[in-house]
Amino acid sequence: MVTTAPARSGRPTADGPGFLGRDDLGVLLDLLRDDGRTLIGPTVDDGTIVYDEITSVEDLPHGVTDEQSPGRYRLENRDGERLFGYVVGPTSWKRWTFPPAVELNRGTRDGHRVTFEATTVKPPKLAFLGARACELAALAVQDRVLMGGEFVDPDYILRRANVLVVAVQCMTSASTCFCTSMGTGPEVTGGFDLSLSELDGGFLVTAGSTAGRELLERLPVRAATAAEKYGAAAVVAGVRAQIGDPVTVDGLHDRLMAQLDHPRWAQVAERCITCGNCTLACPTCFCTGITQVTDLTGENAAMERRWDSCFSPGFARVAGGSFRSRPRDRYRQWLTHKFGTWWDQFGTTGCTGCGRCITWCPVGIDVREELNAIAPAISLAPEVVLVEPVAATPNDFVTARVIATKQETPDTVTLTLTGTDPAFARGGTGQFAMVALPGFPPLPISISRFHADGIELTIRGAGPATRAMAALQIDDQVGLRGPLGNNWPLDRAVGRDLVIVTGGIGLAPLRPVIDTIIANRRRYGDVKLFYGARTPADLHYRAELERWGTRDGLDVSLTVDRAGPEWTGPVGVVTQLFDQAVWDASNMIAFVCGPERMMQATASTLAGRGVPASRTYVTLERHMECGIGLCGHCQMGKYFVCRDGPVFSIAQLGEIFGREGI
Amino acid sequence: MQHGQVGAHPRVGVVKFASCDGCQLTILNLEDELLSVVEHFDIIDFPEATSARSAGPYDVLFVEGSVSEPAHLERIVELRKRCRTLVTIGACATAGGIQALRNWGDHDAFRASVYAHPEYIHTLAKSTPIADHVQVDAELRGCPIDPGQLVELLTALVTGRRPQLIDEAVCMECKRRGVVCVMVGKGIPCLGQVTQTGCGAICPRFGRGCYGCFGPREQANAAGLARYFEAVGDRTTEDVGRLFAGFTAYSEPFRSMVSDLGGTRWARGEGAVEAAPAGGGDARN
Amino acid sequence: MHGTEVPKGADERLYEVTELTRVEGEGSLRLRVRDGKVVEASLGIFETPRYFEQIVVGRTPDEVIDIVARICGICPIAYQMSAVHAFEDLFGVAIDPAVRALRRLLYCGEWIESHALHIYLLHAPDFLGYESAIAMAADHRETVEKALRMKKAGNHLIGILGGRSVHPVSVRVGGFSRVPRRRELEAHRPALAESLELAKETVRLTASLPMPAFAREPRVVSLRHPDEYPYNDGRIVSSDGLDLRPSDWGEAFEESHVERSNALHARAKDGKGVYLVGPAARVVLAADQLHPVARELLAETGMAELIRTNIYASIVARAVELVHALAEAIDIIDAYRPPAEPMVAWTSRPGVGAWATEAPRGLLFHRYEVDERGRVAAAQIVPPTSQNQAAIERDLVVAAPNVIDLPQAEATVRLEQMIRSYDPCISCATHFLDLRIEEED
Repeated sequence: MVTTAPARSGRPTADGPGFLGRDDLGVLLDLLRDDGRTLIGPTVDDGTIVYDEITSVEDLPHGVTDEQSPGRYRLENRDGERLFGYVVGPTSWKRWTFPPAVELNRGTRDGHRVTFEATTVKPPKLAFLGARACELAALAVQDRVLMGGEFVDPDYILRRANVLVVAVQCMTSASTCFCTSMGTGPEVTGGFDLSLSELDGGFLVTAGSTAGRELLERLPVRAATAAEKYGAAAVVAGVRAQIGDPVTVDGLHDRLMAQLDHPRWAQVAERCITCGNCTLACPTCFCTGITQVTDLTGENAAMERRWDSCFSPGFARVAGGSFRSRPRDRYRQWLTHKFGTWWDQFGTTGCTGCGRCITWCPVGIDVREELNAIAPAISLAPEVVLVEPVAATPNDFVTARVIATKQETPDTVTLTLTGTDPAFARGGTGQFAMVALPGFPPLPISISRFHADGIELTIRGAGPATRAMAALQIDDQVGLRGPLGNNWPLDRAVGRDLVIVTGGIGLAPLRPVIDTIIANRRRYGDVKLFYGARTPADLHYRAELERWGTRDGLDVSLTVDRAGPEWTGPVGVVTQLFDQAVWDASNMIAFVCGPERMMQATASTLAGRGVPASRTYVTLERHMECGIGLCGHCQMGKYFVCRDGPVFSIAQLGEIFGREGI
Repeated sequence: MQHGQVGAHPRVGVVKFASCDGCQLTILNLEDELLSVVEHFDIIDFPEATSARSAGPYDVLFVEGSVSEPAHLERIVELRKRCRTLVTIGACATAGGIQALRNWGDHDAFRASVYAHPEYIHTLAKSTPIADHVQVDAELRGCPIDPGQLVELLTALVTGRRPQLIDEAVCMECKRRGVVCVMVGKGIPCLGQVTQTGCGAICPRFGRGCYGCFGPREQANAAGLARYFEAVGDRTTEDVGRLFAGFTAYSEPFRSMVSDLGGTRWARGEGAVEAAPAGGGDARN
Repeated sequence: MHGTEVPKGADERLYEVTELTRVEGEGSLRLRVRDGKVVEASLGIFETPRYFEQIVVGRTPDEVIDIVARICGICPIAYQMSAVHAFEDLFGVAIDPAVRALRRLLYCGEWIESHALHIYLLHAPDFLGYESAIAMAADHRETVEKALRMKKAGNHLIGILGGRSVHPVSVRVGGFSRVPRRRELEAHRPALAESLELAKETVRLTASLPMPAFAREPRVVSLRHPDEYPYNDGRIVSSDGLDLRPSDWGEAFEESHVERSNALHARAKDGKGVYLVGPAARVVLAADQLHPVARELLAETGMAELIRTNIYASIVARAVELVHALAEAIDIIDAYRPPAEPMVAWTSRPGVGAWATEAPRGLLFHRYEVDERGRVAAAQIVPPTSQNQAAIERDLVVAAPNVIDLPQAEATVRLEQMIRSYDPCISCATHFLDLRIEEED
């Protein structure tokens, strides 16, 4: 006979809620410490409630509350013994799960030899005490971004796995709160190990995980009374009513993305100082940049990943300028990402409504006001599109050795590398590698040829890092990460005519396409290559160009901007070459690579010649640091160019192609 | 930025114009690196530190101080001819320094106010940054320069990479370090948002507002910040003007802010009479 | 150092040394010799004027503290200290005793870095025959490394208290914008303790250096405090009986502007001749207040009298003060309890605020007129080097007969060494010094 064992006297059920007396909160802290955890929780420091290491209940704020409004934060004493009678301060928990600076690897260079050793952390065991509903949501968002796809951040995974979360129900709200609108709070509903609701005499304690249940089991709690349960629910319901619904989120994605030309962007840029405080205060922002830390000799170097911001001028900079040069572009990028394209990329909101970006904006810009001005509420269902990750790559460098070098032009060299990561053997046309020398920033370089046991990289020495790479000699080593990015859609070219338009070093990422075509020549129709360069000396792969035209059955047309005495071919821009070409566009596909303006001009000429946007492909350049969609630099609308590209069809890009400041 | 023959050390000079010597001193303050630095560089001219002298040519010349007297005009042009890479160090060399505040005033009055015999004193009416006179290849900002940035620049010179002197707001460094914003948390006016980082956010870490000694960052929205100070911060136009009238006042857009907000009228005792200031503990709120 | 002989007139010879190094500032030295006797010695300062006394006009007291630091990159704290005390004296601000101790500690940091810099990097190469400490390091690497460790200990102490060693940011009227936690200071104690041992070695090392012959009866001036070695507080006293409040420097001294110099020269109003400020002056007037460790070492050297009469021996005085600053810094850290508030509130009042403190190089006097709006209406700043200038000129006359018979290069080195003995302040004194010896046969 099975009987239900009577609950031990006054004990709550496994998940609670139990009632923990105010004086017994220390027992919980002791249990967490006994578990080897460092406690991180709210504490008053210099007039502000920050999250920091705490050792006892005494360190928690006693009887204080915060008063927050755009650009202003002050503490006030209030009666009573409440320990959690305030909302969120300037610190967010990402400081521990996604620290401001993380060493990624150490590299050394000793003569020819280059070594990279990935840095692995032994993360501390932590307990977060006092996480609010919006903060649990923020942790979930970063979980989705940093370990929810096929590309993951190993450092984050390790740190996150070592955190135990004790949540707290909000008892009050600030004028800057809007979790209600974002659907993240104020009620704590999940994503915690243990949850507390503060009442006059103590706390309602609920478990949300196995670890939480084990803790609850060991706490001196009694079963909560109905009055206590209702009391706690009433408090949080009051908070919800107090906040209201300041932002209409229904249809916000589409409303916002339809307003890329709204005059308000320029207006807000008059007020915005582009200081970046909002992004670093934000608990979900995840953009990072890589810094080289080297000794004086440069022989020992570490790569350090640091919090970065899309508001900083260098964030979207590539050689020649920034893709978001105007402050208005940066504000638009931030707001449309948080409330719009974040959904496209991650299937979740980028904003949890915590209000930090409002309070901690030094000049008090309120995103709710900006959203309501730029994208006022109309009813529309947001379209959620999940982007599928393409391939997994470990976040460290493997070394490869130079076995051949070839001077292509006065400033451009092709390096043949061997001993590369075996993943490169499975690489495809159009992909790139992050290439690094110790002490220099890693750079994205297109793979210009795949070999069975290696790759070729064609590098133009434009800056110090590329010059150092272009100066590598046989037996020198270099660090590689990849292959990264997607492919030229050669499968779509099977049985079609193909037109390839490119200039200068732009031929490099297309060379593997030509290699593939030549190896399987009969699978493709007529193949035309239109290739331009500044001068005849700037034409890359001269011998191969000759061979492709004569032996391999490609229709090769060359042009130069400035001819020399030995040049007998056409002079002028590359679009002029195919303007007159005779072709049947109905079965044609086009691959284009060059500067963005050149690609725009080419795409529009091709469209005029009947090649549809869905069959015109370009490869984009952006500022890249991680190469796997985790550092944020190369974002372009709903895409990360490194992860979702770099090859896109003109149709895919739609109106963001060539638009300033996206 | 690779210099000389392979294996040869770059020949380095350190010279000064109008300045306090604090940036040169920062070189000597690299206590942990100094002996290693001299193994990688031949310091051929550095009067503050050595009696061995040279007139160049230099591979790298560090220039401290602003162009501030007639003799400086020729001297900087001559030095430029004798160096391959010219690096300006500090707020005086990169922005004209605190002495550039006289650029808004009456030079003769300045001389007469300090010296009984102003006719003995030969200074230019304006104190100007080095880059106003010759081409500058790299600059280290700050009053004084930051030792970490100095080491970074020296390392970049040795390794041939681009120095990582990041152009972002001081706020970024505050947030990374977990420093609570003094403007939001205490209502203290702070120029960190419009000032280039590099110092490690010293002033906010020490409970006060940034006074802009690293100078304006690229596209600094100084006008937007000034409007906010006046409108929301409840400060007089003169108070806001004085905020920008610091060690990099002569750098745009700070220069325009000083001019637009009344120049240095306050230095002549003009301006609205208001309550005498107070300070200390309570005044921070 | 590069002497050239320039014929000048029929019976005159002019020796010109264009640039003196390892001191700071831009100036010239002129020595006129007739019948083997120096008849004129003058030190001109050509450091470019920056008009600080005018720049501070119209500024608030806290702005002034930031601005005057920029007079000197090597002793910014001295400038901040004289200014903050001048304002606090006028406004009647009573600072917390813990804040007072922290200000002494901050000053200790500056003395440590400045004295270590001067003794080893600027001055010792003279005694040992090197062009620089860098060259000296080739033969005496360990010595230079030790010097750098001491210098770093001082600079780091300033960094803890003020954020950075050059132009620190925390000194405010009423206290500090932030005070350190105990553990921040305690963490630095071992480095200071190690440096104290190195500083003791330094006293013995400097005392063993060959001292060129030199003797004169100086008039010395410094602060003196009944209970402590003088930094921020005490009375202005002299070897011949002056005794003034630190705000009253102007009652006994005045400044004048002479043609050859961009600095104003200070002189005593009583006509009793030139006076000397700096480490030697302090050791003469306040040796009894030295930290016991420093006092014992001074006694051990037996050089107290030589420090008084021979300017070259000031390097020993500086070393004794280095020991004092390190020993006192450790004592302050051991006794430190943070103040209740880093700053006390204050209200401006119009009037004249003045104060003198002891910069590493000697007495530094500031005087500010504050108007009804709480802004500075007029300022006077008298750095130690201006006060020493007349003494330097007098001492050149004393020293010259001993050296002009030496070969030119050697004579030059000896005179430069003497100039360096005053540790002329980086931005208020003599760099690129022109030495001209005109001989009238």
